[in-house]
Amino acid sequence: MKNQKSKAVNSKLPTGQRMVRFFRLVWKQKDLLVLALPATILIALFKYYPMYGILIALKDYKTKMGIWGSPWEVPLFNNFIRFFNYVDAGNLIWNTVKIGLVTMLFTFPAPIIFALLLNELRGKIFKSAVQTVSYIPYFISVVVIAGMLNSFGSTDGLFNVIRQFFGLSAVNMNAGDKYFLLMYVGSAVWHGVGWGSIIYLAALSNVDTTLYDVANIDGANRWQKVKNIAWPTIMPTTTILLIMNVGNVLQSDYTKVLLMQNDTNRSLIDVIGTYVYRIGVERGEFEYATAVNLFVSIASLILVYSANTVTRKLNPENSLW
Amino acid sequence: MDNKGNRKIKNKIHVGSYTFDAILVVFMIGISIVMIYPFINVIAISLSSSKMISMGAVTWWPKEFNFKGYEIVFGQSDIWVAYKNTIIYAVVGTAINLLLTSMIAYALMINDFALRKPLTIMLLITMFFSGGTVPTYLAVQKFNMINTIWALVLPNAISAYNVFVYRAFYKGISTEIREAAMVDGASNFRILFKIYMPLSKALYATFGLFSAVAIWNSFFDALLYIKDEARQPIQMILRKVLFTSGAAGGTFDGVSEMMRQGIVNPKNVQYACIIATIGPILLVYPFIQKYFAQGVQIGAVKG
Repeated sequence: MKNQKSKAVNSKLPTGQRMVRFFRLVWKQKDLLVLALPATILIALFKYYPMYGILIALKDYKTKMGIWGSPWEVPLFNNFIRFFNYVDAGNLIWNTVKIGLVTMLFTFPAPIIFALLLNELRGKIFKSAVQTVSYIPYFISVVVIAGMLNSFGSTDGLFNVIRQFFGLSAVNMNAGDKYFLLMYVGSAVWHGVGWGSIIYLAALSNVDTTLYDVANIDGANRWQKVKNIAWPTIMPTTTILLIMNVGNVLQSDYTKVLLMQNDTNRSLIDVIGTYVYRIGVERGEFEYATAVNLFVSIASLILVYSANTVTRKLNPENSLW
Repeated sequence: MDNKGNRKIKNKIHVGSYTFDAILVVFMIGISIVMIYPFINVIAISLSSSKMISMGAVTWWPKEFNFKGYEIVFGQSDIWVAYKNTIIYAVVGTAINLLLTSMIAYALMINDFALRKPLTIMLLITMFFSGGTVPTYLAVQKFNMINTIWALVLPNAISAYNVFVYRAFYKGISTEIREAAMVDGASNFRILFKIYMPLSKALYATFGLFSAVAIWNSFFDALLYIKDEARQPIQMILRKVLFTSGAAGGTFDGVSEMMRQGIVNPKNVQYACIIATIGPILLVYPFIQKYFAQGVQIGAVKG
């Protein structure tokens, strides 16, 4: 109330006086300012300063001259033009989109289905045991996962032991790109399905139980209850997570791809993230790598924005903003 | 519908339902096996003889017990140095993360705070846009943090998402407590450290563990910023053992000779190294898993 009134008074004052008032208020609250300051400094140094650093995408970057001092690129968008003229650019983009889409196709619905099925389990102890076990892979590092894939996929590895059990011949699954997508997506589902289900289970635990009682009286079967009670309950969560997922389609887990790459498949499974790492950090072509990365960041932003716009048109309540 | 028909339908539903229950239980047992079998296999192989491993005969438990892999791995001073480094990174990183996130979240919780809106927007933007790998790398380089612990713990210390979850959690604490403390002349610092923090133990347990596990598991930052062998975290050692050509042989001294003699299989060493890396997490996992689940729920409901 008090706040509103002071705001109303404030807006009538000329800008200069409003600024004076604002700074006086900030000074009065200097203890809060001090509390917020350390985190703000870290954000400024490690999030905003790199955002300013994106400027080198338009520059011929010289370390000694700094970001601002380096000369502008001629033509200005030279680094972007270079990427679009790069023979493998289409391949890189296609790989990134393909891996992102296929991954989302499986990793997004899997936790939802898993949560709905867990919700149908009757034994409480059994249910929590399954849950506990299903979270474990989430705490395994990407190095261990890629290492296990590498080892299991080798000719004498676990995957081939299983293949031979079913009468298939042993193959080196790490060579070439034939099994890459299967292993990449399979391990992503294994890694995240249990953990991802928690958020849906939390939503499901908030269902008004009288809804189930009423459904039982009406003689609804299991499927009808899932469809009409459980699904609508998790719908808002699903939509919001879907929007965020769409934004991540282009940000494939390049650290995992990087670890899964070897001399036989490097060019076949390269994604934009690994390319940026290789040209930027290993080869030191900072401005070019930054330009490529910026291209992806902007495309991701557009994707999130479009997904949200579509959702808002369909059902305003479920949109992210 | 008359009573008889109703009962009939109900019976039918029950029979179908029990079949479904049985299938579901079998399915869930299957899922659970898929979730943990890789670990069981890794442990079993790490403890088996070289011969049994190359025959592909090891599945659920060790065959022809062989402890050589662990002897080699834990006999390396590299591993102990990496353990020490990783623990320091995790402890320092988590402490900074919890402290600074709490402080800014408390400030942003207060409605009258003049900078609440600009700072919130500043945080929100970082959730959707970032400078990217190279500009961040150049920033860390410019601040002379290459090869230091700060390159690993400072850039990701503050996550906007965490700040918003903390703020939501603090908002759940009655404002009357804060107002009463204010009247008694307590400063905001005192209120945060003496009232809010002790009341948020569940929050700190959860997010502290999240942060520690994340640092324990990270390798990419170390790949970018740590060139000095003596400062590598454990995941970098593991990466070397698992992915260097010639398998584990070239990584550790004297191992290739043992491999040639068939005393030890490369997998003994590699898998022992995997267990050495995930062991600490798997050991504490049963005790902390309730906090993990709780943490996501705090985030889901309040964030």
